[in-house]
Amino acid sequence: MLVDDPRRLLADRWAVAGGVTIVVFLLIAVFAPLLSALEGQDPYTYDLKALADNGAPLGAGGGISAEHWFGVEPMTGRDLFAIVVHGARTSFLVGFAATALSMLIGVLAGITAGYFGGWYDRVLSRIIDVLFGFPWLVFVIAIGAIAPAGFPKQLLIILVIGLFGWPGVARVIRGQTMALKQRTFVVAATALGAGPGHLLRRQYLPNLVSTIIVYTTMTIPGMIGAEAALSFLGVGVPPPTPAWGRTIGEALSWVQTDPMFLVFPGVALFLVTLAFNLFGDGLRDALDPRTAK
Amino acid sequence: MERTTPVIRKTAAVALTALLTVAACGANSSDRKEATEGTQQGGKLSILSAATDINFDPAKSQNLAITTLGLVLRRLTTWDVQPGRPAQVVPDLATDTGKTTDGGKTWTYTLKDGLAYADGSPITTKDIKYGVERSFAPELSGGLGYHKGLLIGGDKYKGPYTGGELASIETPDDKTIVFKLDAAYGDWPWIASMPAFTPVPKAQDDPKTYTQKPVASGPYQVSEYKQGSSVTLTRNPKWDAKTDTVRTAGPDEVVFQLGQDTTVAAQRLIADAGDDKNAFGAGFVPPAQLAQIQSNPSAKQRLVTSDAGALAYLALNTTRGPLKDVKVRQAIEYAVDKKAFQVASGGATGGDIATTLITPGIAGRQAYDLYPAEASGDVTKAKQLLTEAGQTNLALTLLSPNDSDNLAKAQAVQQGLQRAGIKVTIKPADETTVTDTITGDKGDFDLTISSWQPDFPSANGNIQPLFQSSEIGGGGYNLSRYSQPEADKLIESALAETDQAKAQALWAQADKRILQDAPVVPLIYTKNSFLHGSNVRNFFVAAFPAYPNYLKVSLNK
Amino acid sequence: MKFVTTRLVGMVGTLAVISLLTYAVFYLLPADPARLSCGRPCTPDRLAEASAFMGYDKPWFQQYLNFLGGIFTGRHFGSGQAAVDCAAPCFGYSFRLNEPVTQLIGDRAPVTFSIAIGAAVLWLLLGVSAGVAAAVKRGTLIDRSAMVFSTIGVSAPSYLVGLLGILLFGFTLDMVPVGGYVPLTESPVDWLWHLVLPWCVLALLSAAVYARLTRGQMIEVLGEDYIRTARAKGLRERRVIGRHGLRNVLIPVVTVFGLDLGTLLGGAVITEKVFSMQGLGALLIDAVGTVDLPVIVGMTLFAAFLVIFANFVVDLVYGALDPRVSR
Repeated sequence: MLVDDPRRLLADRWAVAGGVTIVVFLLIAVFAPLLSALEGQDPYTYDLKALADNGAPLGAGGGISAEHWFGVEPMTGRDLFAIVVHGARTSFLVGFAATALSMLIGVLAGITAGYFGGWYDRVLSRIIDVLFGFPWLVFVIAIGAIAPAGFPKQLLIILVIGLFGWPGVARVIRGQTMALKQRTFVVAATALGAGPGHLLRRQYLPNLVSTIIVYTTMTIPGMIGAEAALSFLGVGVPPPTPAWGRTIGEALSWVQTDPMFLVFPGVALFLVTLAFNLFGDGLRDALDPRTAK
Repeated sequence: MERTTPVIRKTAAVALTALLTVAACGANSSDRKEATEGTQQGGKLSILSAATDINFDPAKSQNLAITTLGLVLRRLTTWDVQPGRPAQVVPDLATDTGKTTDGGKTWTYTLKDGLAYADGSPITTKDIKYGVERSFAPELSGGLGYHKGLLIGGDKYKGPYTGGELASIETPDDKTIVFKLDAAYGDWPWIASMPAFTPVPKAQDDPKTYTQKPVASGPYQVSEYKQGSSVTLTRNPKWDAKTDTVRTAGPDEVVFQLGQDTTVAAQRLIADAGDDKNAFGAGFVPPAQLAQIQSNPSAKQRLVTSDAGALAYLALNTTRGPLKDVKVRQAIEYAVDKKAFQVASGGATGGDIATTLITPGIAGRQAYDLYPAEASGDVTKAKQLLTEAGQTNLALTLLSPNDSDNLAKAQAVQQGLQRAGIKVTIKPADETTVTDTITGDKGDFDLTISSWQPDFPSANGNIQPLFQSSEIGGGGYNLSRYSQPEADKLIESALAETDQAKAQALWAQADKRILQDAPVVPLIYTKNSFLHGSNVRNFFVAAFPAYPNYLKVSLNK
Repeated sequence: MKFVTTRLVGMVGTLAVISLLTYAVFYLLPADPARLSCGRPCTPDRLAEASAFMGYDKPWFQQYLNFLGGIFTGRHFGSGQAAVDCAAPCFGYSFRLNEPVTQLIGDRAPVTFSIAIGAAVLWLLLGVSAGVAAAVKRGTLIDRSAMVFSTIGVSAPSYLVGLLGILLFGFTLDMVPVGGYVPLTESPVDWLWHLVLPWCVLALLSAAVYARLTRGQMIEVLGEDYIRTARAKGLRERRVIGRHGLRNVLIPVVTVFGLDLGTLLGGAVITEKVFSMQGLGALLIDAVGTVDLPVIVGMTLFAAFLVIFANFVVDLVYGALDPRVSR
């Protein structure tokens, strides 16, 4: 099933563009310190000389110059280019880790619920209902306040959005598992006396791989967006660790005085999300013959 | 003020703490008419507020005498606040600020003639007695309750709903009221200006709805209350300007637009379009808009900035690990980048660099600098002190409210300390949690940034609430948990000193003595900036309190 | 009928679990809700009094049981004339705002629902028509641009687009107000004027999801035998798509629509912040910031109820429309 992919995926120009963008941002994230060193800046050092007396950046475009490629942050004079490239690290780290966590739980829960059925399925479905009903944003705010100061906030956010993010995946996988149950090859294997461990690993999982891959690609931008939304509201990754959402939130009040402060992190966040969505679309089309063009 | 920022809440408290100690200017009763010429009558004034509700119940309110409540409710005494002059206590419903015959244990007031509520019924001292009594009810807690600990029997009394009357308030007739205190208290006239000393007619007291439908005694009455949206005040026809020296009651109508984001409110006022010409903002202008205003001559004219007032400081919890070592704390004094903090507060409009605990404009203040350095700090000196203390690998947490303005300030402190090799982790939390943690008993934090308004021209208000050991925990504002017998002794003797000059010298001495131990780092003396529309007149921000005086604002025709 | 009863019992159970968890989590917060209502100076005696009056002196499970009891019997705080009543069904009383939580929700709901319903109508129309157009004109420029646009819509965070909208239409062009809300009853024109921008922003972004969904379903349906039969019978194309195609497409669209309406409170938190409106989302964030426990629990329950109820309705509708899902 997967053999056919590369060609069909490559034929989709948008998907390729998405993939390339993802790789570029990944490289930016990995080499962020190097890139900002190239510029001669880091995201933490204040440069009050780049600011007017009232805290607004000096010069056009929010202080864009040879020294500060994207200008500087108002009130601090920190380099916006360094903040944006380092922000990619935060977004990718949280996005990938939270996706991995929720995919792991979601697949495990979905596949077992679909396979075993009965009371186990009913209990799990109820838990999924509860999680769907949770205004998780409120909880993140509360949990952030309860967690001890020593607990790394980034890990906390990964845990929270990961733990709230799995029910959707679990539902889909559960449905597909239940459908697989009826398929001849599975029925045959069951009739031949294969144990649940063998069945799940050898029969179900391989047939769910494409769904899992597509879902993973589609979940990552959602998780990146969730982290950004939390940071936007001031309850995400704590400063001074750069985070796009926080910078966008700060740019809220500066939007008239210094619009570039909003534009750079905003465009970065948008491009990454867009890239993942385009790539995910292409991947889905390539893996699912029904939606193929 | 409404609940907007912690600074505002603290202001209300400190105003009191400071007021309580100024015995000297107690009962000066001169019923002089203010210069209210130039106040035009008419128009609809809008006040843009970030708060989502206004609590008009005097028992539950912590409002300043010159803001919202003052428009609707009168008290026995009130504050006269004018530009360029210190605030004074003046009579409001009473004919004077209080008479005492036994050195401050018994206080007697007489009401003015011709006072009536909006429905025409006369205001009597029975209603004032009842108003004070109901503030004792646990159901109506939340207000300013300094009188509760002063009146005889106040500690046991549970309010008129279950506890009958309070015997220590007597009303021999409808015009006279007598308060009997446990001990002599020279500042009672200031106490009588608190919201609880508002008349509440017993027959019209419905505690469930009083927060929205108070019985008006001032120039305005609440005509419409829309939760989370707006509150409209219209004229109270029975208010008589002749009986009132502080309220000019210019506008015909006052509308509070609630739930207005401070940034959006400031942007609307900068734009100054349509009805916003007749509006002013109740909250401080955010730094981004201060920057924007610099390039807008029209808005610049309409920006009103107070004198340097509240002290913004970094509190070092002196009971925590390495911070117990005075050398480490002194190193932090040098390491902090006050310049960056000033920029994060909005630059020169945000405040002036601070080096002392007593703030400018306070009588007896002595300027000094125990830790002389550039405004951006002296990193070499800090590192040297840290090495001497054997703390080369210091890691601390900084508790900060999670809004962007406060986080910007926290980061300014963080990067300053970082330069000296001190690793600071910012712990953002919502504002209430921060306040509760820093004033609570456990004190589970290393560093926090706070600000304290020296609301009253007395050094006492700068020092005592922040550094006396009795103010540690339990809601007190000795955030550093600074306990030093020598400093306590200085504070006590200054409090007891009746000679102003001597007291001032003692406070100045305490100022230096405390800062030697470096429990806090003075950062800047902050300024509050407010913006108003082009039609708004008589809008000023005095030295105390550093908020606009709502009672004097009027509109141009 | 049995299905409905089981689901209803399940719903109530789910809500009970959610409220219990909310209580437990917020009880652990370091802030003491009583201290906020204690006044100044806050002596330990006064604090204890305030705490006892509001019922915060009891252990958390006791508080939770009182909360549950209040739903059926109403609640009564304090004594005498000053006592605070919260009639059944009482979902808590906010001592900060001096109103029962149900009334607060009632006060604020018009704001949130005005935003949500207006936007929902717009995005449904926009999304479905774009999706149908794309499916019918498959492979053409219309299809491709609709899909590119929808991918962009899915990827852009609402607050970013909202901000840009405010900057462009609010400040630069000065066409619409930059924020705030005017009740419909006060001035229908102003109401509309203040909501235009949030509606358009939300509709543009959400329409993307519907356009994709509709397109996918439509393509699938158009490939089915009965459509081919209809075409073969010589029915006009418009009728084929309208009568036979769209009808079958709408089932999944309505499903997603129901679920989206159910989760509108989550999005309201961000939308209301960007457009500075005082709706349910703002109420919730305020309550969290001031540890107004009754409002937090009440709002959490309300939000959860919306989601669960929407799920339930969707299931019912789905069961009615699609005979294959029978239980």
